Amino acid sequence: MENLKAKASKCIELIKEKGIEKAICSVSSNVISEFNADGGEFSLFRTLFDNSLSVTVYNKGRKGFVSVNRIDDDSISRAVENCISASESATPDEAWDVAPVTENAAFVKGCPEPDVDRLFERTEELMRDIASRHPLIIIEQMIVKHIRGESAYRNSNGVEYNTLYGEYSIELMFSAHEGSLSSSFYGSGVCTDTLEKSFITLGSIEEDLANVEKQIRTVPIEGKFIGTVLFPPQSLASVLYSALGNFCGNTTILDGTSIWKEELNKKVADERITVTSAPLDDRIICGEMFTSEGFRSENYYIIKEGILKSFMLSYYVANKTGRDRAKNASASFIMSPGDISVSDIIKGIDKGIIVGRLSGGEPSTNGDFTGVAKNSFYIENGKIVNAVSETMISGNLADLMKNLRAISSEVICDGATVLPYAAFDNVTISGK
Amino acid sequence: MLQDIISKHKPFFPSSAHTELRAQLSRSKSVTVIAGNLTTNTRNETSGVSSRVYKNGVYGFSSAAACDDEAVKNVLKAACDNAAFMDAHVRKNKAMFNALPYGKYDDKIEISDVPQKNYIEFSKELDNYIHTKYPGLSSRIVAIREDSMEKLLCTSDGFDAHFTAPRSYVYVIMSASTDSGVTVELFAPVGGCGTFDMNFTDPALLYPTVDDIYEKLMRKREGVYADAGLKTVILGGDLSGMLAHEAVGHTVEADLVLGGSVAGHNLNKRVASELVSLTDFAHTAFGVSAPLPVYVDDEGTPAKDAVLIDKGILTGYMNSRETALHFGMEPTGNARAFSFSDEPLIRMRNTAVLPGKDKLEDIISSVDDGYYLINTNNGQADTTGEFMFGITMGYEIKNGKLGRAILDTTISGVAFEMLKTVDMVSDSMNWSSAGFCGKKQPMPVGMGGPELRCKVMIGGK
Repeated sequence: MENLKAKASKCIELIKEKGIEKAICSVSSNVISEFNADGGEFSLFRTLFDNSLSVTVYNKGRKGFVSVNRIDDDSISRAVENCISASESATPDEAWDVAPVTENAAFVKGCPEPDVDRLFERTEELMRDIASRHPLIIIEQMIVKHIRGESAYRNSNGVEYNTLYGEYSIELMFSAHEGSLSSSFYGSGVCTDTLEKSFITLGSIEEDLANVEKQIRTVPIEGKFIGTVLFPPQSLASVLYSALGNFCGNTTILDGTSIWKEELNKKVADERITVTSAPLDDRIICGEMFTSEGFRSENYYIIKEGILKSFMLSYYVANKTGRDRAKNASASFIMSPGDISVSDIIKGIDKGIIVGRLSGGEPSTNGDFTGVAKNSFYIENGKIVNAVSETMISGNLADLMKNLRAISSEVICDGATVLPYAAFDNVTISGK
Repeated sequence: MLQDIISKHKPFFPSSAHTELRAQLSRSKSVTVIAGNLTTNTRNETSGVSSRVYKNGVYGFSSAAACDDEAVKNVLKAACDNAAFMDAHVRKNKAMFNALPYGKYDDKIEISDVPQKNYIEFSKELDNYIHTKYPGLSSRIVAIREDSMEKLLCTSDGFDAHFTAPRSYVYVIMSASTDSGVTVELFAPVGGCGTFDMNFTDPALLYPTVDDIYEKLMRKREGVYADAGLKTVILGGDLSGMLAHEAVGHTVEADLVLGGSVAGHNLNKRVASELVSLTDFAHTAFGVSAPLPVYVDDEGTPAKDAVLIDKGILTGYMNSRETALHFGMEPTGNARAFSFSDEPLIRMRNTAVLPGKDKLEDIISSVDDGYYLINTNNGQADTTGEFMFGITMGYEIKNGKLGRAILDTTISGVAFEMLKTVDMVSDSMNWSSAGFCGKKQPMPVGMGGPELRCKVMIGGK
């Protein structure tokens, strides 16, 4: 770590010697230990050693950015030169800025030191658990790894952060098979800082495996109707990323096309909807500690009880548009749970579907979306009838936020988000 | 240019295993101008060495962010140790790959490192043209992306190689508001294989492309929602290429066949109408260089075309050396790695539906009520072959004539069912190569095809 700190400080000094007042440098080093399985069998063990140097300069308001994976002195000097050179043709823009010093800090996050043998044992156990408890499942690919990293961050205002971190992650891609019939594939994953629990018990892995086993035989929905869509946490995350990214994010606020641009502190969603971006929450394993500009990250409300409380803006876009920057740069979404169980939500749905995965393109700027409902189930008269195929849903993300039917009391934590199940009305569901 | 620091280590490869040793330099440059604001101005460069060792059915792999003798020795040792760890714990006891003939390949290309100011000045000039000529747009974005790989490869058998893969693109994205205040958007990438200075000499040469996007955007601004349901459509070349890659190509990657894809049950069976043939071209297609040519893959296999569908019959898979041994097929040179720290995976190269004999105008005039779908911004597919493609530009067809533009929508279907409905195939060919395929690692790929008349589900209202 001492080496990285010295390199980051040296980088900032080199930039300042060139007469440039605003700059950021981050130097890091990491080791990844990773096991892979393919087609249901162990296939690969990887050990990766890598470095990273990223340099940003605001040269009289002209931005340059360079990243390389070499951190020797010559590479640092060359990166600084290339970065300054890159900035020289940029358009001056005084909106670029770096954070002032508030409190410098050293962070230790997660589990920096891996137990590779125990990781392998837990991975073997997961494969055994899947084979014995979910015999119809074939693991298309499994990636289980530990990443250990050290980084030193410096900016030209004197901000200094040093971080030592480590985390385990499990990513599974699988499908279920019976003879020549098969389900759609599905991905499930978590990140964690402990090997105390069996992997199959983490996040929604066990539930996802069980659901996919029920999706081998599907029935296309007949015709078209307006119904209710129930999103489990993983697909709800996609909906939130799309909606909030589209209506609150940098691009549409900067170019003025966001349909929520005048809606700050106004009602944009059902009053039961509260969404925070909370990288510092104890349940978030992969959360950031500071933003790229050097601000210490804080949790913040995006939507509180249906009211839009903040856009998700970088410091640059905030300065550019005269708005407030977001208090962190992550999308560590936490949605407040409701007071009804998932099973009771389903019992209350006359006609609709549970959408395990929505396969669709980027929604339009106005929020219109269409997509294929994958890994999904048809609900009629409060009961799950069958898995579906060749079924599309369409609607508008802004309307969806207002057409909430219910939020579940259960939440799933996968280390990156903490989300419940949520049901929305008035969605177009169409089959053959 | 990469210095050869790896070949002298070949004598030290373990004798009882298959070994690959690779040095790689990758660069990417990115400039984005949104509504006149330079929001992205970045350069990224990564390099290092890696080794992969195959022993008794398992692999060990290691990489390091350095290109020197010590790093090479370290990754070779770590890869051997990792393979031994896996072999001791897993005991698969599988056979060694079939041997390949020794050979050498060198494309002798040196990739130029274009100064960042060239991208910025080009972007600004193009942005200024759009802003001046079309001030009524609600948004405009000009983006330049250039990426390249240079690799040195040594393998225990097969080809030792030095090869490069540069490509560069300019993206123009425009938005306009409809009378009811809804924003519609359209974009187009221009470019292909080669560095930026090879592909783009003058922004003015792109003005006709800008004008074409604007004209289509204005038609889309007056567009209507598609009528949802199962429809007769003409898929343009972008769409048939997407179909070839996403909905068929992935299902016939041999590792995904082992993972349970639909192709496992359909080898040597009819999966499409006899008008449909589909090939993953290695480096040459229809007598000219393919969009992103591959001559040797990262396992040292000389690349050759993989014929996947021949006149409607599924005839083969794309293979690595390991899967070729499993299926009793020939390796096709499809095993490719993205970064120095990535292991080779089975990846597509230039995957295309082959052109037929019909004229586009005849296909259009044959449709009484349907859609001509031209551009896409997104495609996803399942290992069952069920696919979804986003449609960003298309037109109604009424009584054999093109009608109103349609708003963004989505089409879906199941590849091996939908391909059986193909009843006309145009004699033209349209390639695209701007995208990255995602499969654990990203990978540049080419895809293409002719116009296809077929039936698919279309979303809408």
